[in-house]
Amino acid sequence: MGGQLLEMRSISKQFPGVQALKDVSIDLVAGEVLGVVGENGAGKSTLIKILAGDYGMDAGEILINGQKAVFRSPSDASSQGIRVLYQELITLDTLTVAENLFVGHLPTRKGTGLLDWRETNENARAVLRRMKIDLDPRTIVGDLTVHQKQVLEIAKAIHKKATILVMDEPTAALGEEDTQSLFGIIRGLKEQGVGVIYISHRLKEVFEITDRVTVLRDGQKIGTVRTNQASMVQLIGMMVGRELTDFYPKREVPIGETLLEVRDLTIKGIVEKISFSLHRGEIVGLFGLLGSGRMNVLRALYGLDSYDGGTIVVEGQQVSISGPDGALSQGIGYMPIDRKLEGLALGLPVSTNITMAHIDRIGGGFFLNRRLERQKAEKWVRDVSIRTPDIATEVNSLSGGNQQKIVLAKLLETGSRVFLMNEPTRGIDVGAKVDIYQMMENLCEAGAGILMISSELPEMLSMADRIIVIAKGRVTAEFGRQEATQEKLLRATTL
Amino acid sequence: MADALQLQKRKRLSTTLILFLALVAMVSVFAVLSKDFYSFLNLSAMLTNISFSGIVAGTLTFILITGGLDISIGGNIALTSCLVAYLFNLEKPVPAWALVPIALGLGAAIGAFNGLFITRLDLNPIITTLGTMAVVRGLGYVLTKSRSILIMEGVTGFIGRTVIPGIQIPIPLILLILTFVILYFLLGHSKFGRKVYIIGANQAAARVSGIRVNRVKFILYLMSGVAASVSGLILTGQTAVGMPQHANGVELDVITAVLLGGTALSGGKGSILGTLAGVLILGVLYNGFTMIGFKYVHIRVFQGIILILIVALYELREKKRY
Repeated sequence: MGGQLLEMRSISKQFPGVQALKDVSIDLVAGEVLGVVGENGAGKSTLIKILAGDYGMDAGEILINGQKAVFRSPSDASSQGIRVLYQELITLDTLTVAENLFVGHLPTRKGTGLLDWRETNENARAVLRRMKIDLDPRTIVGDLTVHQKQVLEIAKAIHKKATILVMDEPTAALGEEDTQSLFGIIRGLKEQGVGVIYISHRLKEVFEITDRVTVLRDGQKIGTVRTNQASMVQLIGMMVGRELTDFYPKREVPIGETLLEVRDLTIKGIVEKISFSLHRGEIVGLFGLLGSGRMNVLRALYGLDSYDGGTIVVEGQQVSISGPDGALSQGIGYMPIDRKLEGLALGLPVSTNITMAHIDRIGGGFFLNRRLERQKAEKWVRDVSIRTPDIATEVNSLSGGNQQKIVLAKLLETGSRVFLMNEPTRGIDVGAKVDIYQMMENLCEAGAGILMISSELPEMLSMADRIIVIAKGRVTAEFGRQEATQEKLLRATTL
Repeated sequence: MADALQLQKRKRLSTTLILFLALVAMVSVFAVLSKDFYSFLNLSAMLTNISFSGIVAGTLTFILITGGLDISIGGNIALTSCLVAYLFNLEKPVPAWALVPIALGLGAAIGAFNGLFITRLDLNPIITTLGTMAVVRGLGYVLTKSRSILIMEGVTGFIGRTVIPGIQIPIPLILLILTFVILYFLLGHSKFGRKVYIIGANQAAARVSGIRVNRVKFILYLMSGVAASVSGLILTGQTAVGMPQHANGVELDVITAVLLGGTALSGGKGSILGTLAGVLILGVLYNGFTMIGFKYVHIRVFQGIILILIVALYELREKKRY
């Protein structure tokens, strides 16, 4: 290993209402892979965005090769040899590999100013050969696989003399084979003295490829360990840390008969023969990493995406779900992951939003019964404690928590028995969270069943009666409420 | 807690109210400038003239609220007039009673064609209906061999030129009023109308809420097609001729009227009363300027400028809100 490439010292960063980073320090040596791990919201992406020059910092300093560096923009960072490969790759898909590689400084013919294609392609071939990358410079980038695009981005970074390469969840969309191929390339980079910062949720991979690991939690650095001296359990313990409190108003609700049974649900290329059941009074959690297929299961059950095989049984009746309207008429309701994208008509009033999934069944025949609509909206505003000046207020003027409660009210108004909830408390404040948990428990007491996806582990562990772990489109484990632990869940995602 | 209905209405009326006040102001100014303008005969003629474009403006309001557009209406009107005149002038003429259902059927077919491509294949509505516009107007030229076909008798004359005795109201105006009454209740007071607004505000959320987005949109393009064929029948009657040049550029009038009425191009907002105000204002402008001596071509230039000004004004107002 070589000398000190990078040092980030006592970095702090505050956003309105959130201390995103507090006194975090990391360092990177040439030829080393440093893993950065932590739960969602631990501060990983803020740290990376500061390093990339996207965000300024409130306190702290960055040293590159021992020299103090100030980044005012992403181009400052990139001129210091820092490159970040984000999860969503930014390639120019309609251009060729060679054009992507040399974008901004394509060779031109003297005199005419026209592009010199032969030189472009020959240079590209040389660059790729030096890095032992098997790509044709003339291929259109849109035709490449995710992994090939990734490799191309790495080649571009190295060609532009990057010495510090940051990879954010690089394997999220890769299969096992491509992952190994990526690791081969990373090892090659190490030999060239490049320093790599590797961010991943997949601890198994972190153990395989990193030399050291820094753990962040709630915006603070918990510690840095040598990978070969650490254990999985130790790392997870460092990541999770906090004790779970009474924040979760879980009640003991008797579990009743089967509401929903899913047998051998298959979505080609995504989900393979998944089976599970949901009972009255029960909250079942679907746990898995990004791309595991758990969201596809929920969307397929609601008829938003089609499925290729399997049986869905609702209260003993086999059903086929043709679309959201079909699902709703079977008593299946859905809470989308993104309220602004799929949940709300932001420019319309609270009352319209609350009744929008139930207009056809609200009474009044062909015409809208506005009096009935008003009564229903006012009832839900009260019952779910939505803070709004009145029910005619446009939804976009309300806070995130209140907007999420409107999505919940809309779901409750449908009178469904099976509730599919995709991240029910995503991005809302603590008070609103507790209100939503209370409503979920009320539903269970009323005999409904909830199938929930949550990427917040504590929420999953505290609210779900059973947790089904899905990894790479298969069920890999199932835990009861008593036996489930964060360690077990995380380990099951790597199976 | 305030009444949702009233609040919603108050907001919408404020735009519409301004428009109707502007209308009254314009009528007053023209009445002062031209003695002939403010006569029963002229006002009746003006209202009759705007009825054929007014009807399609009504249905286009729905489409614009969903964020779509239909510019094939002019071509649809022209082909309807050509087909009706052609069938009436065959050696063995099609009976007069059959002309109306045939015309409406043609309009429905054109609307269904648009709707199918826009919903099933998710094609861009502007491009789809632009293509349809070329196809149907082209078919009009083919059918008539680019000539005008006289159609003096029959049912179109009744639709286009009859004035109901006693109350002195022409049939086209009756049709316009009838259309707006139906559309007013459909958009503002029916479940279907509510779905139109929701789709315009957020199509993905509408789908997740179980609204059959494609079906609603299909029906709207179908309605637009049928409305265009009604307009085609009126225009054929008024001019007593079927010709492929009919309603050339009517898209400009119709879109201007709907946008003037406060319907947002981005979707989600608009009202039938607003569109009615837009149609009337445009009608008064054309008629009034003609009466005080301007030529059609001059007014056309003026209208184009108005269209851009309206869009700019509403855009500025929207920006101010946030």
